[in-house]
Amino acid sequence: MDPSEVEFLAEKEVVKIIPNFSLDKIYLIGGDLGPFNPGLPVDVPVWLALNLKQRQKCRIVPPEWMDVEKLEEIRELERKEDTFTPVPSPYYMELTKLLLNHASDNIPKADEIRTLVKDIWDTRIAKLRLSADSFISQQEAHAKLDNLTLMEINTTRSFLLDSLNCMYKLRSNLQPGSSVGKAQDH
Amino acid sequence: MSDALSDDHDASDMSGGDDGQEDVMTPSELIGKLEEAWLNEKFSPELLENKSEMVECVMEQLTHMEANLQRVRKAVTSALASKRLRSFSLMSWRKKRKSRAEGDPSFLSPEEFAFAKEYLANTETYLKAVALKHMPPNLQTVDMPKAVPEPCLDSFVFLRVREKQENILVEPETDDQREYVVDLDEVEQYSSFNCQGASFLGSDAVVSFQL
Repeated sequence: MDPSEVEFLAEKEVVKIIPNFSLDKIYLIGGDLGPFNPGLPVDVPVWLALNLKQRQKCRIVPPEWMDVEKLEEIRELERKEDTFTPVPSPYYMELTKLLLNHASDNIPKADEIRTLVKDIWDTRIAKLRLSADSFISQQEAHAKLDNLTLMEINTTRSFLLDSLNCMYKLRSNLQPGSSVGKAQDH
Repeated sequence: MSDALSDDHDASDMSGGDDGQEDVMTPSELIGKLEEAWLNEKFSPELLENKSEMVECVMEQLTHMEANLQRVRKAVTSALASKRLRSFSLMSWRKKRKSRAEGDPSFLSPEEFAFAKEYLANTETYLKAVALKHMPPNLQTVDMPKAVPEPCLDSFVFLRVREKQENILVEPETDDQREYVVDLDEVEQYSSFNCQGASFLGSDAVVSFQL
């Protein structure tokens, strides 16, 4: 899966903005939005928030979890635990990147937040590598991985699944004449 | 560039998914289902059930919206992008799924089936012209259904369960492992199940490949 597709899914998440224009309620195919009044916060999907921000029509309010202390706590917890800890948002990486790129003036201590999120990401990816390694070496048939986000899974998806498939075929191909074909790439 | 949101607009009221289907859905539910179907189709190793009704519904909603809401381009763009992605990924999957002997040809829509047949005929012609006619006479036919690779139903996938599933059988790979049974709880995420019961895994009510 392409990272841009993951980002596309992440852009459906809801974020608070403070518009500087007014508009009645609008009826979009994905749901209703608004009404918009200057100075009053309103919830909108991220794609709309970014668009409005770029046209200087709103100010973005950072999500609750995008705060230095909270992220520090999460990072410490992540480093302590062997398993994956619950994340503040299933799209924390994408949202951080999008919001910090387009609205860093609305987010206090943007650089620190960026560093903290990157640390959390690095720790989790390292855990993912370890668990993938043990999954393969112990030849397990299934694994439970709660609390992993789509973006993290995506980094390892094609490699992990392809190599598992390959190994499965090698192991099970003891009978000649099996006609199991290789699934085509998508 | 015209300013989509600062003009006065005449938004038409979305009257929901009231288009003759038995279960009425709101447009946002419909979009949600479309997205799910897209992801499932994308990640599943074999062809899944056709969702042509849903696609038609969405197309209808989109054209309806386009007609009435020329100015709210964002919403339409977002939904259009999602539909395009889905159509693209579906088409690319289905092109690989033609003429399977054990076929789920019932899963192809009429247009897709026609496309599949044409593709098959073209492939045969191509093979004949390029290679087969130069071969000794007794090798000049090719058994098309056998030549098409089947999707590997034993491939690994990521999946998430929507309803609690009990007693899923996981078969062993090596001799010293035994079959074991697993309960899947709601909302937990799993990696890498052997996709043995692909039809079970693909059924709507149960499981989503959404990872």
